Amino acid sequence: MEPSDGTIVRRVLDGDVEQYRFLVERYRAQFGRYALAVVGDRDAAQDAMQEAFIRAFDALATCRKPDRFGAWFFRILANQCRNLVARRRDVVDMGTVDPPGDDRADAATDRAELAATLEAALARLTPEQREAFVMKHVDGRSYEEMAELVGVGIDALKMRVYRARDTLRDLLGGMP
Amino acid sequence: MTDGRAFGPGAHSYLDGKPSGELSAEERASADRLAALIRAYADGLKPVDPAMDEAVMAAVRRRGAVPAAGDGVWRWLLTSHRVPVRPVWVAALAAAAALVLWLAPRAPAGARSGAVAVAAAAGRDTVFVRFELVAPEARSVAVAGSFTGWRTDALPMVRGAAGVWSVTVALPIGEHRYEFVVDQTRWVPDPTAHAQVDDGFGGRNSVIVVGPKGLVRS
Amino acid sequence: MSGRGVRWLVLAAVLCAPAVLAARQGSVVSRLSARGLPAALAREVQRIAADAAGQGVPPGPLADKAIEGWAKHVPPARIVSAVRLFAGRMAEAGAAVRSAGIQNPSGGVIAAAAEAMGGGLKAEEIRMVVRAAGAAEEASPGLSVAASLAAQGIGSKQAVTIVVDAMEHRRPMSQLLDLPSVARSMHDRGMSPGEIGERLLPHHRDAGGGEHHGDKNDRPPGVPPGPGHPSGPGHP
Repeated sequence: MEPSDGTIVRRVLDGDVEQYRFLVERYRAQFGRYALAVVGDRDAAQDAMQEAFIRAFDALATCRKPDRFGAWFFRILANQCRNLVARRRDVVDMGTVDPPGDDRADAATDRAELAATLEAALARLTPEQREAFVMKHVDGRSYEEMAELVGVGIDALKMRVYRARDTLRDLLGGMP
Repeated sequence: MTDGRAFGPGAHSYLDGKPSGELSAEERASADRLAALIRAYADGLKPVDPAMDEAVMAAVRRRGAVPAAGDGVWRWLLTSHRVPVRPVWVAALAAAAALVLWLAPRAPAGARSGAVAVAAAAGRDTVFVRFELVAPEARSVAVAGSFTGWRTDALPMVRGAAGVWSVTVALPIGEHRYEFVVDQTRWVPDPTAHAQVDDGFGGRNSVIVVGPKGLVRS
Repeated sequence: MSGRGVRWLVLAAVLCAPAVLAARQGSVVSRLSARGLPAALAREVQRIAADAAGQGVPPGPLADKAIEGWAKHVPPARIVSAVRLFAGRMAEAGAAVRSAGIQNPSGGVIAAAAEAMGGGLKAEEIRMVVRAAGAAEEASPGLSVAASLAAQGIGSKQAVTIVVDAMEHRRPMSQLLDLPSVARSMHDRGMSPGEIGERLLPHHRDAGGGEHHGDKNDRPPGVPPGPGHPSGPGHP
């Protein structure tokens, strides 16, 4: 049976820093896709995650609820991702989003192009909408889970997700 | 082609995976299409490289232990690198930063960080200096110099986005010599320093002269 | 005792007894051994330091130089010759500083003078700066600034003139220490070292003695007046 977050955090605070690795593995798995989908660029997402883990370590003594390390770490990660996206916004060319056409021969290319299309559209959402949308649809979280992680009410989160969907529908075309 | 209409509540429930009642064919198709796009996108997401774990652990090991909490100061350091510091705050923050430097990343047991001795002795005449190096290929970067007693593990830098490594240090006013140490073996000058001087061993040291009002570099 | 406990204790000790820091320097050999230098190398450096002490050279900066070389993985033989060279330069620098009026110069002043000489300043130029310094503790920063300006391409003669004039006019230390930063920002805006030297020379300054060096116009846009670095490569 795997040790709880609280157990690992307490061991690390007591001096066994190698234990931190369990938290890193656990939350890379849990939040990796979130970072990727919010940031959009794999290298940048990895940088953000790495930085977040290091900052979390440096501030571990200030984590008031070691058993809830995940939620506490998520805030740090979300901040890192947000800062990164804000900086990259100046650099990335938004361009127009072209809805995919119908005549595609190769299924793999098709998927890749669809993915790229969604990626471009996601970049047009507000940070809150993108984050909520990713948590709902990429991570498949319930609104309750999301509320715990983000620290915002369920209704507000639903609003963000719904608006994100509406924007995406608008950008990507409503007709099949 | 866009139709400018939002999804109705039924479609949102449908997309939430809940019972949705009757949806028009058009709305259902639209929702299904969005869901398909999401699936394609999510399936294409490659996982974060597990090698990241080791990079994190390397940084963690260099720190040796979790820094002790100094609540207010840590929150400041954790959340902001861009807070403009007014001159009148310098003394208070410098003292706090000197304390943080002492308690934070430290040399292995038995050695004493040069930065600590300097910061503790200098008292009020210290100023924040930020060191940065663009080194996307590096696995580790540190600053070593006159203010660390040339220890290469006293001031590890943290990798940020786009491979920019950085660390902020409270230094006494005056002249300081240093270089960056990349991957623990390569000594690299700081192109943004004021001057490069001969180190006496056939290499160069970067020099900065820090005034009480701060440092200006490119 | 936990690591944290030890650190608090030592911190308290350091804050209460600054003299302890000085005492901790210890002998050259023990300092060098503590940093991992092999015994033979440490003893050789101690010998050089002992000889140099006879010429008024303090041992601290010599030990620092050896430690720097060791940290940089310089071969021991090369460390020895570098320390010897530095000791010679410190002896010369010490003589220059004393003849300019500082009876018992600190290791810091002598080291600053030695580094300045290593950067091309002549003994007479060292004397000029030391003489212009209002108080002994202003000599080091004055020498550092002159050496830096010279290294930034301004030329030792002009660098010394600029520093000497600032000190003779009793400009605040903060202005003096700002000069390398100001020179750098001028350089970054495309001025040549010659032009920078001209701009910083006395006859370009306001007769009213207003603050010029380090005034906000010479900082790149967006630099706050407080301490800290505005932004680096890759950051908006």
